[in-house]
Amino acid sequence: MFESVLIANRGEIALRIQRACRSLGLRTIVVYSEADRDAPYVGRADVAVCIGPAAATHSYLDQAAILLAAKATGAEAIHPGYGFLSENALFAERVSEAGLTFIGPSAACIRTMGDKVAAKKAMRAAGVPCVPGPDAALPDDPEAVRRLAREIGYPVIVKAAGGGGGRGMRIVTEEAALLDALAVTREEAKRAFDNGEVYIEKFLTHPRHVEIQVLADGHGQALWLGSRDCSLQRRHQKVIEEAPALGIADELIAEIGERCARACQQIEYQGLGTFEFLFEDGAFYFIEMNTRLQVEHPVTEMTAGIDIVQQQLRVARGERLALTQADIRCRGHAFECRINAENPDNFAPSPGRITGWELPGGYGVRVDSHAGAGYTVSPHYDSMIAKLIVHGDDRADALARLRLALDEISVSGISTNLPLHRRIASDPAFSSGALDIHYLERRLREGAPRA
Amino acid sequence: MDLAQIKAFIDAMASSDLAELEASKDGWTLRLVRHEGRSQPASRVADRSPSRPNTPTETLPAAPEICAPLSGIVYLRAGPDLPPYVEVGQAITAGMAVCVIEAMKTFIEVRAERDGVVEAILVSPGTLVEAGQPLMRTV
Repeated sequence: MFESVLIANRGEIALRIQRACRSLGLRTIVVYSEADRDAPYVGRADVAVCIGPAAATHSYLDQAAILLAAKATGAEAIHPGYGFLSENALFAERVSEAGLTFIGPSAACIRTMGDKVAAKKAMRAAGVPCVPGPDAALPDDPEAVRRLAREIGYPVIVKAAGGGGGRGMRIVTEEAALLDALAVTREEAKRAFDNGEVYIEKFLTHPRHVEIQVLADGHGQALWLGSRDCSLQRRHQKVIEEAPALGIADELIAEIGERCARACQQIEYQGLGTFEFLFEDGAFYFIEMNTRLQVEHPVTEMTAGIDIVQQQLRVARGERLALTQADIRCRGHAFECRINAENPDNFAPSPGRITGWELPGGYGVRVDSHAGAGYTVSPHYDSMIAKLIVHGDDRADALARLRLALDEISVSGISTNLPLHRRIASDPAFSSGALDIHYLERRLREGAPRA
Repeated sequence: MDLAQIKAFIDAMASSDLAELEASKDGWTLRLVRHEGRSQPASRVADRSPSRPNTPTETLPAAPEICAPLSGIVYLRAGPDLPPYVEVGQAITAGMAVCVIEAMKTFIEVRAERDGVVEAILVSPGTLVEAGQPLMRTV
């Protein structure tokens, strides 16, 4: 059972993981790049090691540097956070080979879920509903491809097996465009993911993005912790998330949740994970599984009343889950706004020094952030500087609290997307909820006046 | 209009050859006027900008430099196997991409504000530049 954790990440999630470690009395070892030396979690670490220059490829993505830091500091476990090396099967393997605990599922699970075709096959086998289309890579024969697309029915979407997060896919609305789209996607996939395998699925035109959080221990117990709706997206990046997903019958969510938990047992999944679905016309379709802690985990923490990151550490330490499915309840409603350093109108990045930083507070309000007045937002990493999370008795209560919190919060010195969040929070359609994944971009194109 | 937006206007103006800028928003009006001779000798100014013959020369102050619109990592080519955007001595036209800046996983092309010739490249590829930092000198 490990007593020390090396946090192989940065920003708000490094701080979040550090807090969870401290709640269990674990020592924290923080690795950081030269750009992050003044981050608050670096100062609070039991041991902090600079592993390289600002560029992530030479620091947070440098496996050898991280493993060396782990060895030099006597770390017993490595938490990869999200992004960077969190879904890198090879890294998970190397951590285990070094005799350390990788806080996450096995390399084999990461590998299967990282290959979208293999993941789909595994999920079908486990009884999880998938988007219509074969769970196999497309053949080379053009006539066979045309036949498959016809069977599915247009529009279809051509996807790279190695893709994910919205990259490497192309929508085809008619047969005439099919083979060209296939060739281009294949070529891109080869270059971007080093894997030219592509597959084809039915393209859903107005789905919501609904996901199920799971937590599994190493003793065969797996729980699902409720649903989240992350449909408010821009360029496949989530902007606002909420829990639970509105307007879906409890029995239907429970059925999907149980299937996800069973799938975890079937593939011997351990730790935290998220099954991502498209939800359209009352049906769920699996799209991918994230084999790591997610940015939006706090909305589930707020509604389930569980410190998810602490649970993740506990199961990684080999503990049995103390919770059972009967203990899991969803109370009230929660929202999370991703606050990014970017121009609210054209979304251009806005790195720089934060000169003013005023946070909201009060009952049901939580801010997860590593930033503050005087903090310099580096251009080297992604633009998220804070997460504003609110909880309320129901969706209307939570939304009212969100509006108040957005009124109170203020960041100056850099541009942020706070005006966008305020605009969304006062949008009548958002108040009604259950929007599809294209809503936000549609709304932005309309260029409605700011609220 | 908040401080960040005002700063954005100032930056936008600094990296252009605008002499005056007025913007109204949310009941605010911001007017920025540039005074001549602040950063560059006037003689230099009078020599350039053939593409804007109607602009009065005495209000043309801006340095004949292309500056970074935001802080980030500057690259002089679009990919490792691709030729550089521009080279010293090359003629450029307004709107032409001259380099790219990577910030927060986004690549932003920097475009020439006016016609001219690249006289010097002032930055090394792969290095961090600050907003407003001169990247290239043009004539």
